[in-house]
Amino acid sequence: MRAYYQLTLAQLRIFLRNRQVLFWTLAFPIFLMIMLGAFLGNGNGISLTVALVDQEKSEKSKVLFEELKKNEAISLEKSSNEKEELEKLKKGDLQLVVIIPDGYAESVTAGDSNEPFKLPVYYNETNFAISQVGLQLVNNAVDTISKKQVDYKPVVVTDSKGVEALNLRYIDFLVPGIVAMMIMSNNMNGVAGQISSWRERGILRRMQGTTLKASTFIAAQITARFMLNGLQAMIVLGVAWLAFGIEVRGSWLTVIAFVTLGTLAFMAIGFIIAGIAKTPESAGPIAGFLSFPMLFLGGVFFPIKDMPEFLQPIVQILPIAHLSHALRETMNVGASFMDLGMEAIILGCWLVGAFIAASFTFKWE
Amino acid sequence: MESQQEIIKVQGLVKRYGDFTAVDGSEFSVHKGEVFGLLGPNGAGKTTTLEMLVGLRKPDEGTAIVGGFDITQELDKVKEVIGVQLQSTTLFELLTVEEILYLYGSFYREHISVPELIDDMLLTEKKNSRIKGLSGGQKQRLAIALALVHDPQIIFLDEPTTGLDPQARRTLWDIILRLKDRGKTVVLTTHYMDEAHVLCDRIAIMDQGKLIALDTPGELVKNLQSDSAVEFRFDDEADVVLSEIDAVKQIGSQKDVHILYTDDLQKTLTSLIALASEKELKLVDLQTRTATLEDVFIHMTGRRLREG
Repeated sequence: MRAYYQLTLAQLRIFLRNRQVLFWTLAFPIFLMIMLGAFLGNGNGISLTVALVDQEKSEKSKVLFEELKKNEAISLEKSSNEKEELEKLKKGDLQLVVIIPDGYAESVTAGDSNEPFKLPVYYNETNFAISQVGLQLVNNAVDTISKKQVDYKPVVVTDSKGVEALNLRYIDFLVPGIVAMMIMSNNMNGVAGQISSWRERGILRRMQGTTLKASTFIAAQITARFMLNGLQAMIVLGVAWLAFGIEVRGSWLTVIAFVTLGTLAFMAIGFIIAGIAKTPESAGPIAGFLSFPMLFLGGVFFPIKDMPEFLQPIVQILPIAHLSHALRETMNVGASFMDLGMEAIILGCWLVGAFIAASFTFKWE
Repeated sequence: MESQQEIIKVQGLVKRYGDFTAVDGSEFSVHKGEVFGLLGPNGAGKTTTLEMLVGLRKPDEGTAIVGGFDITQELDKVKEVIGVQLQSTTLFELLTVEEILYLYGSFYREHISVPELIDDMLLTEKKNSRIKGLSGGQKQRLAIALALVHDPQIIFLDEPTTGLDPQARRTLWDIILRLKDRGKTVVLTTHYMDEAHVLCDRIAIMDQGKLIALDTPGELVKNLQSDSAVEFRFDDEADVVLSEIDAVKQIGSQKDVHILYTDDLQKTLTSLIALASEKELKLVDLQTRTATLEDVFIHMTGRRLREG
């Protein structure tokens, strides 16, 4: 018991004194999260900047302005210089330019449905997709005004209902994935690298010359790494909460349970790699060979359902897929541990299988 | 001698690596309280023998009783009574001297006072320093401290002074002799003759996996039956029968260096110089010295302990 405590303490001291490793293992996930979050974090909201050049300045043109302004997706700029705005549109600073020419109010008031007023809207063809969305929005606004003018009563309306009652952004999807990625790389790559290097340098051999048991050594490794990982996961979640307002909707206990399962499973895989790798130099590439596909196929950055059909069966057995899915369900949807029984069982199988394999491949020297 | 208690009894140890036999049936005993040296050139099987005795390698044949326990049957008990310092061990570089001693102490049921051990190994000033920053001599003293932390009866040291400067070597010798004074049994390997001579009560000479001699350093030299050695080269290939030289008892030659062992240095030298003049050969690097363990080794194997 004393040996277990001392070894855990020693491992934690080594972690804390190895500032560079500590910093970069934390900096990488946080950096990735902030970069991806800042670029893509707003999810499905597309930002549109539309300039309205009001040449008429009448009551009617003001109504159109207000109608456009109602739409939150549009940030509206009022201007009177048509040329300048068109120049901005070419440069891509604007997505649309709407011009209200003289005679607009008069034509609208007349309400001649045979000859509707033509409102010029300029868009840039090089930015086609976003322009189409913008045109649609302007159409809607104009449509509303037309309908009011003719006192139109709709016969059929759509009633859109979101299936998930939550408004999920990409960042909500991303953060649990990043936590899963961190657990994978710190444990799998970390254990593989450290154990094989300790073996190479004879550190393990020297310990084999004492009455220390391998099980005590491994147990202490696991404890120390688990403590460090738990802390790192909490820091990443804390940053996510501060920077993007990400919260854990489910139970923290479920999150902790899956962080634990993931840590143990990936650590066991790390021990297998350390056993297979003949030198510390080869441990890195072997761990990389396993972690890279998992990063891209395992649902860390992209949803698994977006993967090609033939990859699905492979993806479905990767441990990272279940870890990231379970974390996501807990954090985003608020699923309970019981809801995630399948994920827990699959991770548990990985854990048990990997530890059995690790105990056969583990070598002191 | 006969009345001494055997603390280690090695019985026909064999270790093979593929076709290569690293240790070929070693048999010897170590007495309680002595410093026992395993001497030989690199690759002689010293380290392999030592590693089998401490349980790091499994012997292919034979066994040994260490401190009353069989190394193939009761390794856990063996490990409690022995302390080990291995060749080229690195330790956790980011821990301090004190921390690692407590760590290793925790691996055993009991350990001695760490502050006293630190004082004893002359590491007091360094006790809060990280291992990374220690000098070679300090690291080696720490490695020995780690071997002593659980107060073992038998201490195994694998080339404890290799790579150290003369000052650090002498400090380490003092430490090893102090261990002996306290009644510990020390088994060490070395390829330094002077070290074996100063430290060891008895020496086993190994060559190519075989034990070729075992005795006290004094007896080994005495068995050469010669007091002095004459060492020289000819500057040309020479066809000379060296045994014709007066008073030569034994000849140890390797490559172009010839060594003559004699009890009558003056007679041998005179005769050698006369021979050289007669055959018009030039003597190079001529030197005379008292016979040492090195000569014992050359005599027995035809090779030097350390080439070059």
